[in-house]
Amino acid sequence: MLEARGMSKRFGEHTVLQDINLSIQRSEVVCLIGPSGSGKSTLLRSLAFLENYDDGEVFVEGELLGYDRASDGRRVRSRPSRLSDVRRNMGMVFQQFNLWPHLSVLENVMEALLRVRGMKKDAARRLALATLEKVGLAEKADAWPNRLSGGQQQRVAIARSLAMSPAIMLFDEPTSALDPELVGEVLQVMRQLAEEGMTMVVVTHEMGFAARVADRVLFLDQGHIVEQGPPMTLFKNPQSPRLAQFLGNYLERNSLFEAAPALNRVDD
Amino acid sequence: MDFTVLTDHASEIGSGFLVTLWTWGGGVLAGVIAGLVIAVIQLSAGPWVRGVLRCYIEVIRATPFLVQLFLLYYGGPSLGLSLSPMTAGLVGLGIYGSVYFAEIFRTGFTSIPRGQQEAAAMLGMTAWQIIWRVQIPQMLVLILPALVNFTTILGKETPVLSIITVPELTFVLTGVGAETFAYVETLLALCVGYFLLAELCSRLGQWLERRASRYLTQGVQQRRALKPRESAA
Amino acid sequence: MFDLALLVQGLPLLLAGLWNTVWLSACGLALGFLIGIGVCSLKLSERGALRRLGGAYISVFRGIPLLIQLLFIYYLLPRLGLDVPAWVAAIAGLALCSGAYLAEILRGGLLTLPVGQVEAARLLGLSGRTTLTRIKLPQALRATLPALLNEVILLIKASSLISAVGLAELTRTAQNLAASSFLQLQFYLAAAVLYCVVNISLALLAGRLERRFAKGRA
Repeated sequence: MLEARGMSKRFGEHTVLQDINLSIQRSEVVCLIGPSGSGKSTLLRSLAFLENYDDGEVFVEGELLGYDRASDGRRVRSRPSRLSDVRRNMGMVFQQFNLWPHLSVLENVMEALLRVRGMKKDAARRLALATLEKVGLAEKADAWPNRLSGGQQQRVAIARSLAMSPAIMLFDEPTSALDPELVGEVLQVMRQLAEEGMTMVVVTHEMGFAARVADRVLFLDQGHIVEQGPPMTLFKNPQSPRLAQFLGNYLERNSLFEAAPALNRVDD
Repeated sequence: MDFTVLTDHASEIGSGFLVTLWTWGGGVLAGVIAGLVIAVIQLSAGPWVRGVLRCYIEVIRATPFLVQLFLLYYGGPSLGLSLSPMTAGLVGLGIYGSVYFAEIFRTGFTSIPRGQQEAAAMLGMTAWQIIWRVQIPQMLVLILPALVNFTTILGKETPVLSIITVPELTFVLTGVGAETFAYVETLLALCVGYFLLAELCSRLGQWLERRASRYLTQGVQQRRALKPRESAA
Repeated sequence: MFDLALLVQGLPLLLAGLWNTVWLSACGLALGFLIGIGVCSLKLSERGALRRLGGAYISVFRGIPLLIQLLFIYYLLPRLGLDVPAWVAAIAGLALCSGAYLAEILRGGLLTLPVGQVEAARLLGLSGRTTLTRIKLPQALRATLPALLNEVILLIKASSLISAVGLAELTRTAQNLAASSFLQLQFYLAAAVLYCVVNISLALLAGRLERRFAKGRA
């Protein structure tokens, strides 16, 4: 339902993504991992056309994202309304939450229901409250976003996306801006979504989450998909030296700072 | 000193005061609207349009308001643009104000994290909805001090309109002074009058700021401290 | 509407007017700077009464429009028996007004200095005055140079108001030429261009300095 074919992205002279081929099935959970600067966030943002990719194609449920075919065969940037239309089944959750601080928690969730879906106020309110209930924050409906903890804000952001009932959700390092003790509550919500069959693409540094929730893990380095496969295979038996080194660094960091390295949990 | 000249000409002075308020208010309104339009175009237009607007802003900022007024009022007729002093004054204040207001709005727009627009765009909101529902409400609180400050500055430019014979407070009172030779009294009255107007404006601004920023300032500070690095891969 | 021959004829007068604009502004700035230092030290004084005096100066001279201040000085001085030439009144007006703005700029510059530097100077036995002139002012000047240049631009623009008291600076010269030739648009445009040349150069300089200092500090 989400597919990239030969996608490339350059910033000036610098190639950030090269010849990315990727196909994501319904209800599949895919985690993108890789060192910083590997292009994983850019890949995710390109899949949502927040970055406009230069070559190749991205299809969302069979529709070309971001470009239209002109009559002479060349492709042109889609009009904004067309872009929104192709993106209508996509939700996105950002590292910095990006809640709107001038609206209450409930208003944040209701805004797009009212203005994009054109729902009636009562119906939007009911749906928004139900979705907040799902992420465990119904009682914070009237709070201002900045009064919430980072973990709560991110859960509101998830609810805001979820209320639009997307078929696929993209997560861009959803826990990287959080204090360590708040990471769990967000991962818990994401795990619950995965179990309900949501299609998800997640850029993350949380190897434990990738190991336990992902159906497939993609390892990116220098703009290439270097290796992919089920998490167990990848983590236990890395084929490329780069992935081995990446996992090694990760393990070392964790064994230095945490009593129980996350990778041990792969075995449970 | 004989301040009875003021009471003797109370009705003229009163109407001059009203003209001052009217040109000030009208100039601010015109400047805010034009400035907002300029800022929005600057954010969304291509490099050519942006370049033209940049030139307009730099030229208006580099020339004295008085010269702009002269160009409009005395130079206008040779371009087929004959304005009454009052209209020329209003338009002049609006043009002069528009570039400063535009800069204020532009700073406001750019100080709102880009990610908030991205979140809105991903939810399907249109560019207009994003500007009106997400950016402007937050921006207004952020730029309120700058808006009030420049409104006060624009008020202090209104006496210049007397030079092209707009019948505002300065024009009326210097006229009365010349007529009755009570220069000192009338000028003192002008000083006090404008000083009070400026004070009133800044007090009003402070009150507005306190009301508007009650819930937002805290959030803004928190966000700044976070130093977002959204697009870093 | 336009007459090149008349423009060329008027150009020397316009340039002379520009020269007057520049030196009147420069004198106003120099005097205003001294006033600014004075008012700034009042405002930073430890005595409440002096602080209030400095604050009052700033709010009075920033609150009253410059045109009114100029008219006041122009009409008031002769009444007090001081029959000064118009240019003295003009410079006084510019200096008094810019002094208030410069005081605030300098204060901003001084307040950003780390307290530790002043403490260090005091511990080394430097007097209060030496600390001010050798440690604080040089740094405050450097930090505020872009803002000071900006103030120069504002002052050059403000000096156009001197035309109202009859001095033949740039705006007044353009006015005279425009009135005598009936080529209003041409001569006011010429004046505008000359103001642009001076002020945009200053603005570019300010921008460059700002970038350089930003780099130096980082």
